[in-house]
Amino acid sequence: MPLRLLSSCLPLEAALVAILLSAPDTVIAQDGSPRFETHVEPILKQHCHSCHGPGIQQAELDLQSRNAILLGGNAGPAIVPQDPVASLLMQKIASGSMPPGDAKLEAGEIELIRTWIETGALSVGQSPAVGDREAVETSVSPRKIVVATLNTKCLLCHGRRHQEGGLDIRTRDSLLRGGVSGPAIIPGKPEESLLIQRIVAEEMPPAEHQSRLSYRPITSTELQELRRWIADGARFEEESPWLARPGPDPLVSDDDRRFWSFQPPLRPPIPAVRSQDLVRTPIDAFLLAKLETKDLSFSPAADRLTLMRRAYFDAIGLPPPPEEVEAFLADGDPRAYERLVDRLLESPRHGEHWARRWLDAAGYADSEGQADADAIRPHAWRYRDWVIRALNADKPYDRFLIEQIAGDELFDYKARTLPLAEKERNLLVATGFMRMGPDGTYSVSQGFVGERMTVVADQLRILTSTVMGMTIGCARCHDHKYDPLPQRDYYRLSAVLRSAYDPYDWLSPNEVGVGPDADWNESNTRMLLGVPSHEIEEAERFNAPIHKEVSKLKRDLESLTAPLRNQLQDKKWAETPEALRADIREALETPAEDRSETQNYLAARFGSKLEVTSDELRERFPGYRQKAVEIETAILKTKRRLRPKPRIRALFDMGGEPTPVHVLYRGDHRDPGPPVEPGVPSVLSHGLEPFRVERPPWTTGTSGRRLALAKWLVQPQHPLTARVRVNWIWQHYFGRGIVQSEGNFGRTGTPPTHSELLDWLATEFVRSGWSLKAIHRLILTSGAYRQSSRYDRTRHGSDPDNILLSRFPLRRLDADAIRDSVLRVSGRLNPTPFGPPDDTEAKPDGEVVAKDSPEGMRRSIYLLQRRSKPLTMLEAFDAPQLRPNCLRRTHSTVPSQALQMMNSETLRTNSRYMAGRVIDAAGGDPAKQVERVYLAALSRSPTEREQAAGVSALARMTQAWMRQLDEGPAPMEPKQAKARWLALATLCHTVLNSAEFLYID
Amino acid sequence: MSAKMSNSKRRAPVRPDRLNSTRRSFFSSVGNGLHGAALVYLLGQDLVSPSVALAGSSERRVYDLQERNPHFEPKAKSVIHFFMNGGPSQVDLFDPKPALLKYAGQPPGRDIANDIEFINEAGGFMPSPYKFAKHGQSGTELSEILPHLSEHVDDIALIRSMFTTHFNHEPAIFIMQGGRQLTDRPSIGSWIVYGLGSENQNLPAYVVLDDPKGLPINHVQNWQSGWLPPVYQGTRVRSEGSPLLHLKAEPEYPAAVLDVARTLLSRMDHDHLLQRPGQPELEARITNYELAARMQLTASDALDVSQEDEATKEMYGLNDEQTASYGKRCLMARRLVERGVRLVQIYIEAQIWDTHFELEKELGYACGKTDKPIAALIKDLKRTGLFDSTLLVWGGEFGRLPISQTRDMGVAGRDHGPTGFTVWLAGAGVKGGTVFGATDEIGYKAVENRVSVHDLHATILNQLGLNHRDLVFSHDGRDERLTDEFPSRVVKEILA
Repeated sequence: MPLRLLSSCLPLEAALVAILLSAPDTVIAQDGSPRFETHVEPILKQHCHSCHGPGIQQAELDLQSRNAILLGGNAGPAIVPQDPVASLLMQKIASGSMPPGDAKLEAGEIELIRTWIETGALSVGQSPAVGDREAVETSVSPRKIVVATLNTKCLLCHGRRHQEGGLDIRTRDSLLRGGVSGPAIIPGKPEESLLIQRIVAEEMPPAEHQSRLSYRPITSTELQELRRWIADGARFEEESPWLARPGPDPLVSDDDRRFWSFQPPLRPPIPAVRSQDLVRTPIDAFLLAKLETKDLSFSPAADRLTLMRRAYFDAIGLPPPPEEVEAFLADGDPRAYERLVDRLLESPRHGEHWARRWLDAAGYADSEGQADADAIRPHAWRYRDWVIRALNADKPYDRFLIEQIAGDELFDYKARTLPLAEKERNLLVATGFMRMGPDGTYSVSQGFVGERMTVVADQLRILTSTVMGMTIGCARCHDHKYDPLPQRDYYRLSAVLRSAYDPYDWLSPNEVGVGPDADWNESNTRMLLGVPSHEIEEAERFNAPIHKEVSKLKRDLESLTAPLRNQLQDKKWAETPEALRADIREALETPAEDRSETQNYLAARFGSKLEVTSDELRERFPGYRQKAVEIETAILKTKRRLRPKPRIRALFDMGGEPTPVHVLYRGDHRDPGPPVEPGVPSVLSHGLEPFRVERPPWTTGTSGRRLALAKWLVQPQHPLTARVRVNWIWQHYFGRGIVQSEGNFGRTGTPPTHSELLDWLATEFVRSGWSLKAIHRLILTSGAYRQSSRYDRTRHGSDPDNILLSRFPLRRLDADAIRDSVLRVSGRLNPTPFGPPDDTEAKPDGEVVAKDSPEGMRRSIYLLQRRSKPLTMLEAFDAPQLRPNCLRRTHSTVPSQALQMMNSETLRTNSRYMAGRVIDAAGGDPAKQVERVYLAALSRSPTEREQAAGVSALARMTQAWMRQLDEGPAPMEPKQAKARWLALATLCHTVLNSAEFLYID
Repeated sequence: MSAKMSNSKRRAPVRPDRLNSTRRSFFSSVGNGLHGAALVYLLGQDLVSPSVALAGSSERRVYDLQERNPHFEPKAKSVIHFFMNGGPSQVDLFDPKPALLKYAGQPPGRDIANDIEFINEAGGFMPSPYKFAKHGQSGTELSEILPHLSEHVDDIALIRSMFTTHFNHEPAIFIMQGGRQLTDRPSIGSWIVYGLGSENQNLPAYVVLDDPKGLPINHVQNWQSGWLPPVYQGTRVRSEGSPLLHLKAEPEYPAAVLDVARTLLSRMDHDHLLQRPGQPELEARITNYELAARMQLTASDALDVSQEDEATKEMYGLNDEQTASYGKRCLMARRLVERGVRLVQIYIEAQIWDTHFELEKELGYACGKTDKPIAALIKDLKRTGLFDSTLLVWGGEFGRLPISQTRDMGVAGRDHGPTGFTVWLAGAGVKGGTVFGATDEIGYKAVENRVSVHDLHATILNQLGLNHRDLVFSHDGRDERLTDEFPSRVVKEILA
């Protein structure tokens, strides 16, 4: 047995390669091949049964018997007898990915299992001659036919919303009933079934729509399966859905449910601490309690101006204006700071600043992404404005969530007359949250079922990471490896969205993606009406002349086409049998539903043949082709100038019965597993009202699925909703969450540094009526927040990473705050809120900048956020690429930032504006100018030394500019003034580059 | 000359009391103030602040580009990747299919139809308009449209049995770059520099040379670091005009003004840091400037192809309009690899291999632009002795179908074909003259020795001394790999 010897000393992988490449007969023991019961079972029992055994079957896989192994789990059969390489079990143990953890199988054990598979995977008593490979019957699963073939390739035109030719393929009955041409299937007789005939004749699915509607023809395998399925009786699946109950669940154990973050938060008592005098809010008591165990305490309070600047950036994302700095310094009221906090939280800028963060989490963008075209989302901004207004109004967080997840299910919008009242319109706008993931479907053949599934998956990822702090994405393809999230629960959650997002009955994300094709009417887009009338009128006024141009072009095309069409038409009629001609004409003129059987036949037989398509014309008349293309191009170009019709980018229930949701093995829509019903993760049940779908009382049709989810989420006892939110807020103030992995509260997340504080905040949040501003105020007024950020080794040595918050963390401003602050101090910030985003442009060198306007520029949140064209300056400072969302921005220190700040036109221009403002406020005295620059940019006065340095720098730079101006042609304005202004601008530019401007103490 | 720094430790943060002299020496070595910091951008060695370093773990880990030891003895020190985005046509370039003559004009079967976007416009089987001939000692057959590469068949290994799983550019490019059809995954280049760092700290570790005529599909996402730290993303270097954004200060600024401004900024930052000890972010900010000084000297030199002799320029086709642009980037690639840059990816316009229509015109353009420069680079690498330590990879995101996309043969081209296509590798440890794998009779589907994108990735990593199973990054609590959990193998058959 040389191989056995080898394997004990070679590294695992090398040994395996050697084994896999070796001829089988070299390792089969003389006394016969290994057997399951005697050789394999003991190994599995030791290593695998804890997850795939009597107690629990992860991934539905049971490794207790040979048959169960052959049957396999979610991912298919665990072994293929005689073929170890193709055997999943072998792949998993050989790669070391199974079992998880450190206790891997020994090389010898792996080899034994390999040999067992290779020799036929036999049980005791079985003879080697019986190969299982032939014995595995491949029957056609109705589930696969229905889901992977019929739903995928036929349902769009023969389903809930459209029944072309009267055919609905969604049930066996409706297939048997068929359409205008008769039954679609005749069980037992595939060749006589219209379904098969049409496919064989390549009439179905129709080739002409395939590119636009994103489907593909039936493959030969699918055709064979369809034939076999009909031959076998065309059975539909009668499986009952795979349910999960709050009680005992074979896939989720009670032990799983005991994990801290799956338990409701309990309000802890506020601890007593030694330095009671430092406790300003209960937050401080929790933090001090921990600090004191290490003989630490808070750092001394930050000085007033540092604190003021800090609070400004945290609450509104902008630096304080010089006047307010001076006023605050002069304010002797001991509660001056608390009053400042109140003012800041009431500022309309607060909503803008924090909306940016929520929009990151929601994955907000003004373009669809996913496809290269990256089509503009013309109506996303309404949702952005909704968020800003909601945060400014301190809309209770439970309501905030309900409206975003299911605003459309709160009232019977379909029964309302248009335009909607503002309040109701906003409920629809709020569901924009569920429309923020990348969605490139229907833009250049990207709309296949797989891509549609990805849109839904991204949306689920946004929802679960942002609202629930769960990484659920893994469970799309397999049971979550670490958290008790079986694949089943992923699809149950996905079923909640199915009545709005049905991958088999898809709606285009916006009208741009659909293009100008006339076949597309509005009901095929995921948009709602209900915007204010004046917006519609305005757009119509703008578009009217463009429409006129288009109609003119269309008339031109028609007058070119008509004679040729008639010519060809006549020719075609001439080819029909003369005796039938009149009857055919009559049949075609009769509406489809009124036709007699004979007329149906005639229409079907001759209708399409007699049609003259534009392709035919082009093929036949090359001269026409060129002219037609020219006019069509002109039409397209003209149409591109049209303003999109004002609409609401909303998510709404499509009404009727959506397609059933199946578990998809490996996330592959061609490999459907058992069906599931809408639901929530089974592990989240402790102390919660169960998830229950109730159809709202009105009849216009909405399932209530998302409303059920929203209501389930905002239960006060929910273990995640409040915790996740307060943690997310906390993280933005202190640079790190109490749970550092803000999007992952599961087993692989980081445990909370202060679990009692987290639970206290979560319960306080609920107790305050889910007031976000209450949490902001608690934090902003705490002693912890008011600490100095100075690091002192003697004081902070035992808290080097500031886990215990023994000081305030120094932080760099984030991208938006940097750009907005530069605009603010240069006086270029246009405070106008809301409305369609401001355009950006790419300069020839590739830099993307905001388009300038005489009114200045608005805050970065109001800039067009096109995924493929991020603003260069924001990108350099870590503005996230939202694929699909971002819960915490990274803060890199990369050289492109320095380049940007020093050499970009944007900074240079703004510095010059800033110099102008400084001159306006401080006049011509250099000392006063320096004072003003510091006050405006750094919210403090310069020290004497700094002032002297600034004045001296101004003098030298002015001289240098004078010399340069003397050399050039005489400028229009006095040289001296220009030189001083340019020098001051450079001083401003320098200060905007300083670490002190970019980092907040 | 490569600057070997493999044993040096990570540079310690600058102590505040030494800042003055350090910064002074930095500025005097550059001599042009704000402008001096410009080339900082080229710097691959980004310094990530502790807040990033701390992400996902409680330990303080700094992600940098210091050279790291591979898992095992590598064959390649560097990679040059000719990313032929668009989908080069295998049956017209690398994979002769005489049977197509036999079937010419016949309509395709149901399964090929399933790969066609505009089925009602599609034509029948279309033989290649090009002749294939045997070349070199190996007798590898190559198309007449690649005359220069044909001289090097004994240096390259063709894999004729590549396949992928999506027929559209965007997803297929994501698969080729990051292993999966997901938009947030790191590109292979990011994985490589994450694993190995770089020999040269004065140049970016992962350079992207994009075509001045336009970015490929997926734009900058092609070289994204995804959820790997941003320090590992590709650095885009333009080959025309200013190689980097904001490289230069406004020229009309008097030097004396810049000088004063620079000194003032230095003083402000210095004072700021002195008052704030123990803040690594602030130290990192300042350290950047020093690195910039070194960069300015080395990077501009590295990118300056005018230093090459006339014969070399001629060889790369720099004097010929057709080849000048791609030739320049190939030559830049050699100069970068020579200096220890780990990975250079050369991109090509937006989609010139995407030959849907007018096959001969389009392929003529694409090959005319690239064939000679690539052959020159192979020759040049051999001449300079770098061939044995540089892995060359040539390929796109998929191939093309053996049928015509249109019925009108006058404008005939080929639609995307993901089920079978060709890539080639050369250099470091690759067995030249090899042809591995095969497609079916018509060049539609890889049937023999099929090689997945993951196999290709595993093979590239292998040549760099990296085991694709061991190169992991913990993301969302999961150990992620370039090859994920896909069964992947190193294509040993093409290795020496």
